[in-house]
Amino acid sequence: MFVQSFGDWLYATPISSTFRVTTWIIPTVQSIHILAIAVVVGSALVSELRLASVLANDEPAGNVVRRYLPWLWRALVVLLLSGVVLIVAEPARTLGNTVFWAKMALVLFAFAATVLLRRPLLREDAPPAAKAISWLLLAVWIAVIFCGRFIAYT
Amino acid sequence: MTLQTTLQQIYDLPLSNAIRENVNAFPLLESLHVLAITLVFGTILIVDLRLVGYASHRRSTNRLITELLPFTWVAFGLAIISGGLLFASNAMAYAANTEFRLKLLMIAAAGINMAIFHVSTQRTIDQWDEDATPPFAARAAGVLSLLLWTAVIFLGRWIGFTLDVLF
Repeated sequence: MFVQSFGDWLYATPISSTFRVTTWIIPTVQSIHILAIAVVVGSALVSELRLASVLANDEPAGNVVRRYLPWLWRALVVLLLSGVVLIVAEPARTLGNTVFWAKMALVLFAFAATVLLRRPLLREDAPPAAKAISWLLLAVWIAVIFCGRFIAYT
Repeated sequence: MTLQTTLQQIYDLPLSNAIRENVNAFPLLESLHVLAITLVFGTILIVDLRLVGYASHRRSTNRLITELLPFTWVAFGLAIISGGLLFASNAMAYAANTEFRLKLLMIAAAGINMAIFHVSTQRTIDQWDEDATPPFAARAAGVLSLLLWTAVIFLGRWIGFTLDVLF
């Protein structure tokens, strides 16, 4: 399998072994990864609950979403970069792991849904059923967190 | 009754034993714990940044606090319950772990910081509620809170690398 041989090659690279041998790197990068997911959760919570008309309904939804969207993107960049370091350090733990790929699919879905649906959801004539998408996105971020922790066990 | 016997009794509880014996229990509790701490940190971050002077979705700092604090408290409760169950499953090892002890210390410090803000700086909030930059005492409380909760997350992750696993 290509993924298998790529993982083996990555594992054998000097940078991969440096990440593993330097004992503080993995815990530090994992901590940064959790801080970044906390920023995603905080921004998503306020934005999605506003879109679902649960929170801060006296503020225009567009203002609330625009306030937190940059934080969501910045946090996702930090998650991507710290995540790459963790993959390089332990390729077998992630690349050969079904839960890891499920997590990637969920992140991609949440990212695409946020990018594509934000504008239509903010329109005055958005159907009430569209609010369900906000709840779905919150559920997806929670699933991402569960997948992230379960990668360590599968 | 010494601390060691209390810890042993906690470890011997049927609930603690069930967590040790069910392979999915520990990762599920850990996931809930991570979810809880991301909600705690995510909501506190928005409030702390507002205290430091970064705009949030609310001009009024007081409204922001009253709007987000219920989420923080519910999430903190979930973190205590999930964390307490993780602790019970391996009580002696956690109690002896330096990072775990430091983490509890940092949570206590964050609580004291919040209490001081509540009984002093927040009393005068009517005078600076909508100011873009709150007074020094509020900014200091915000920065300190961010540093302490960041330390809590780092120490929490570090426990996973330093704990003596007894089962």
